[in-house]
Amino acid sequence: MASVHESLYFNPMMTNGVVHANIFGIKDWVTPYKISVLALLYEMITSKPMALLERRRLNKLILPLQQGPDLTLKQFLMIVELCCPETSFELRCRLYQMADGELKDMEHFFSTLPNPFSDSEVYKTSVVGLFMRHMLLAYNKLSFSQVFKLYKSLQQYCNKDRWVTPSSGPQAELPSAANEDMELTSTEDTSVPRVDGVDREEPDAGPLHQSELCGHDTTGPLSQKQAEYFFARQAYLLKNDENKAMTPAILQNELNNILKFNPDFAEAHYLSYLNSMRVQDIYIATHSLLHYFDRLILSGGEGKSNGDEGYGRSLRYAILNLATLHCRFGHYQQADLALQEAIRIAQEANDHVCLQHCLSWLYTVEHMRGSDSVVLTEDSVKMASHFCLPYLASLGIQSLVQRGATQGMTANKLLDALRSTDMVHWKQSLSELIEISLAQTTSIWRMYGKSTMAWQQAQLLLNMNSLEPVNFGVQQNNTEAFAVALCHLAELHADQGLYGAVTDIMAHLKQQFPPHTQHAKLWMLCDLKIQFERAMNDGKYHLAEPHVTAIAALHRTEGLYRKALLLKALNRTSEASKILQRLQQLCEKNKSTEMIIRVLLATAELHWDSSGFATALPLLLQALTLSRQHNLQSLASETVLHLAFTQLMLGTPEQALALLEDVLESILAHGSLMDKGRALLLMARCQVALASSAVEEDRLAALEQAVETLEEATAYFSRLDCSERLREIYYLQARLHHALGHTAQRNKFAMLLRLLDQELPLSGATALTHI
Amino acid sequence: MAALSTEFGDLVQIKKQLISIISQCRERGLVHSMKWASELVFALDPLPVNEHPPPPELTEDDAQDFDALCLAKSYFDLKEYDRAAYFLRGCRSKKAYFLYMYSRYLSGEKKKDDETVDSLGPLEKGQVRNEALRELRVELSKKHSAGELDGFALYLYGVVLRKLDLLKEAVDIFVAATHALPLHWGAWLELCNLVTNIEMLKSLSLPDCWVRDFFLAHMYTELQMITEALQKYQSLIEAGFSKSTYIISQIAVAYHNIRDIDQALALFNELREQDPFRIENMDTFSNLLYVRSMKPELSYLAHNLVEIDKYRVETCCVIGNYYSLRSQHEKAALYFQRALKLNPRCLGAWTLMGHEYMEMKNTSAAIQAYRHAIEVNKRDYRAWYGLGQTYEILKMPFYSLYYYRKAHHLRPNDSRMLVALGECYEKLNQHVEAKKCYWRAYSVGDVERMALLKLAKLHEQLHESDDAAQYYIIYIQDIFSCGEQLEHAEVSTALRYLGQYYFKNRMYDEASFCAQRCCDYNDALPSKDGGRLLMKFIRHKDSRFGFRDLYSLLLHFVQQRHTHQESVPMSLPGPVATPIRRVSPLDLSSVTP
Repeated sequence: MASVHESLYFNPMMTNGVVHANIFGIKDWVTPYKISVLALLYEMITSKPMALLERRRLNKLILPLQQGPDLTLKQFLMIVELCCPETSFELRCRLYQMADGELKDMEHFFSTLPNPFSDSEVYKTSVVGLFMRHMLLAYNKLSFSQVFKLYKSLQQYCNKDRWVTPSSGPQAELPSAANEDMELTSTEDTSVPRVDGVDREEPDAGPLHQSELCGHDTTGPLSQKQAEYFFARQAYLLKNDENKAMTPAILQNELNNILKFNPDFAEAHYLSYLNSMRVQDIYIATHSLLHYFDRLILSGGEGKSNGDEGYGRSLRYAILNLATLHCRFGHYQQADLALQEAIRIAQEANDHVCLQHCLSWLYTVEHMRGSDSVVLTEDSVKMASHFCLPYLASLGIQSLVQRGATQGMTANKLLDALRSTDMVHWKQSLSELIEISLAQTTSIWRMYGKSTMAWQQAQLLLNMNSLEPVNFGVQQNNTEAFAVALCHLAELHADQGLYGAVTDIMAHLKQQFPPHTQHAKLWMLCDLKIQFERAMNDGKYHLAEPHVTAIAALHRTEGLYRKALLLKALNRTSEASKILQRLQQLCEKNKSTEMIIRVLLATAELHWDSSGFATALPLLLQALTLSRQHNLQSLASETVLHLAFTQLMLGTPEQALALLEDVLESILAHGSLMDKGRALLLMARCQVALASSAVEEDRLAALEQAVETLEEATAYFSRLDCSERLREIYYLQARLHHALGHTAQRNKFAMLLRLLDQELPLSGATALTHI
Repeated sequence: MAALSTEFGDLVQIKKQLISIISQCRERGLVHSMKWASELVFALDPLPVNEHPPPPELTEDDAQDFDALCLAKSYFDLKEYDRAAYFLRGCRSKKAYFLYMYSRYLSGEKKKDDETVDSLGPLEKGQVRNEALRELRVELSKKHSAGELDGFALYLYGVVLRKLDLLKEAVDIFVAATHALPLHWGAWLELCNLVTNIEMLKSLSLPDCWVRDFFLAHMYTELQMITEALQKYQSLIEAGFSKSTYIISQIAVAYHNIRDIDQALALFNELREQDPFRIENMDTFSNLLYVRSMKPELSYLAHNLVEIDKYRVETCCVIGNYYSLRSQHEKAALYFQRALKLNPRCLGAWTLMGHEYMEMKNTSAAIQAYRHAIEVNKRDYRAWYGLGQTYEILKMPFYSLYYYRKAHHLRPNDSRMLVALGECYEKLNQHVEAKKCYWRAYSVGDVERMALLKLAKLHEQLHESDDAAQYYIIYIQDIFSCGEQLEHAEVSTALRYLGQYYFKNRMYDEASFCAQRCCDYNDALPSKDGGRLLMKFIRHKDSRFGFRDLYSLLLHFVQQRHTHQESVPMSLPGPVATPIRRVSPLDLSSVTP
């Protein structure tokens, strides 16, 4: 656009080509709103003793009123009225008196304002004292015409409010002062209702009305202090609780407004960078980031005595930030180049702290690219602890722990590392890292198959009060750690068949992390997995199919694995086996042990389908070694279950039962409902198989025992709605009761079986080749 | 073009129209439009006495308002706008109404400017508004919908809308204003500021009048469509405006924009002869003198302008350029600052100041200046380029890539940005991108003739000797064909490399030729020595011409003929992706004396 912004009028604060935004140190100036806040303070100081509760409410109000953006008089009075109606009334009287009177009333107000230096009530360095002193100073600096202008805007401020209140007629209450110079001053005021009238008559003047509104609704620009508060608040919310921050569009609008009034606000550009990262807009993000640092470079030299140092430093961080930007957008090569540049500059300047930051980003980039970065991370941790940078050090340790956990580092080492960093976190109150650490512990416990421990850690995180100073004591933060913990919690509930609770958790997650936000993918994947499991348990494979594609979109390996499971269930064995082979290669490359074991188990199950029980054994043994090696308890017990089943099918039920009894305890303690049911069902089968070879009396007793075990299993499976397995059980039960001679029981189970059969026709494979 | 010539057939008629618009503008205080029209009138032949247009007839309203109008106009001329508006408030004639509204508008603007100095805080500065605008808009829109606005009032309405940032509405109103009163140049100029691209220009329905050609030419210059602009201006000159200083200056600026320095200089000299006390556009002239390092001329211009008026933006810029050329960068920066004090919206001065700070190695101030320039105009490619350079000096090539890319985006066919991009990529070891950039720079017409050399050197570094030799050959052909030989050192480096290359490939004739040419340059010692050494070697080899050499020479001869056919398309700039393995010998027969 060719037209040039007005604010580029020559800046008198320019010296030597550098504009100092604030050479006089004016961070704040007097506005009509500030006068009303001053009047409130005045009332509070001078008025007669008021009720303790009201005073407390008012006291709590002061800080937000001082820091927040300018409000209209109506809003202001309403807020005060909620706390203390009397004060509000007196405030209104005082302000109207000032506005209806003459200039000298305002001058009088400022001269009688209690001086924080002399009065005992307001201490001179308190928040209130500083505010009052600032205001007095700013007022005293005003020139002749500015004082008059301030008074006029005060009149406008009060009058606008009076029109809004419907009780008073606008024309009747027109201030007497306006009559003195009708032509000049009152035009602004009276034009407002007139314009509205015009608008309604003329259809083509639509935009006119809107612009008029804009002109009047803006409560004026934020002062530097207000703007700084605004930036800090929004940036904090973006980081910790995106939902509470303004929506991207509104925030950008607000920022553009601020920048229009003062283009030298570097921080606004940074906030705009953060905001556009939210909506994944790389163009505006890059632009704003670079603009911010261009501006920062100017102010960098100003604050510190060694100007050159600050200047160089911001240069280094500028390029480092650019690297992080590229990293977040997945441009790893660009990020790498930028990082190299940052490292070179930092090395030249001997800036170890910056170098450490670079190093920690370097290993992140390397990790994201998929190459091994353990050595880099270890170096980073060592150096960071050498230079006393606790944040970077424990961040490094945490990423080491994460990698160690997936690559089979022993559990005691991992937990030791986490515990030692936790101590550092609590000492330095690095709340962010505490959250991450708790979420990590949850994940690790869950991986090891200790559901109770995982449960406990997740609850610990969710019930922890925030340590951040901005919203201290508020429980929820919206960080990644919380999302992770909640997802684990959902899966744990699903394992126990508590689907109602799962739905609640998911609804909460959806609300806290709307689909467009950064961490939404976490819960999406989790939700899909749970739904997939449910559909598979129900035997409704057609429902599971769309979930597979959705999962594959979010997580490739997981998608492949689920696809294989589905194909296996549909008896398309050759396709399933192909996919499993591919998956195994993939996982061996990625070193994701958990998935390898799962794949091995699935492959073994495929072997069962073709009655290759003997060929399944080596696979299962391999899986067992792997899971024992990595302390993956739940997977280990599942493998044992598989082994026991194989033994049973190979005709050695004693062996199978012995194996089962070994793991039964841990399965019942930590396993999911599904695992528990399967274990018990298998146990019953073993018992039946053993009974056939026993003597008559023992046989009957054994059969009774098997019936009991089956009943227990029925309870688990019916909680999960797992009809296929229920059918099996009913069949077994019917046969057992028949053998025991309980005709009534037998008939009952036979009928149940019949009902189920009608509901769910048998799939092709009748042979019971699964646990 | 046919329409144009018929339009311009009657120069006398045009002159009459211009004369009447001059008097109309004068009565309404629209000085700039009056100036433009007067300049055009001056360029046309004088009219005989009987042809002069009679003064317009007075209507009833005009007669009634005459006294008030005279009084108000005198106050208006004395810049007492409120007073003028007060005495015009009851008038009913259109002329008086325009002056009434216009003085209210100007009064608001004046007060706004005064307020800016006296605002409450730095942040409030942006908030200072012309308070009169909204009232004016309401009144004008009422009159507009009643259809009571004449051409001048429409123009004022448009200005008010533009000031209120209602750009879309403003464009419509300005178009209506040009229809109502095509000769009023101010309306066209405002429209020109609002049109941002060629599509938008095409979509406007403009009145069919000869002024439109002036507008289009101006618009093309603004949109950097220089060839079209030059064509338009040429046809205007042919139509009879050959003496107009306005057109000459516009053409000169257009030539400056496409860096045709000689043409532009000639035109500016002509302009100064015709209009020696002109200050407008002289900053552009000084830029040209600066680029050509014409110190005495620049000094003369600077002194001359100071005598005319030393408190003009253009004068300050000229003086700044002068000091900069004399390497007194502090003083230069001082004068650019002064120019900005006089007019903070002066785009060129911000950029030039940035350049000065760069010279003084004050990078932070330079960044600030460039950023200001960008804020004034986002499309200022020089400022983007300057920012890139600054960061490159700070040894941050990756960082500067963004800025160079921006600059390149704005000037896709400017080789300087491409070379800069290439250099950055080279520093980042991104050889493929670097090669692409250099080749593209050469393809779009290399201004500094460095792209090929850099490309060849890059290939040399990567030990891709065939490609390197290929580009050295094109480079040398390029240098020789353009006639002037500026970079002796570079040419001799290229020749030496070629000599060595031929020598390695046992093409001794070509090698010795290159070595000889290399020795002709006596300034670059290392390459000269290299050349001598090479010659010695060749002689040595020649004396021991053996069977194997004969064989290889034959082989080369065959290859050479083969590649000669291949390389015919390569002598033209082609895509870089088609490499030739063997290079034809250097054909310098056309350039050797």
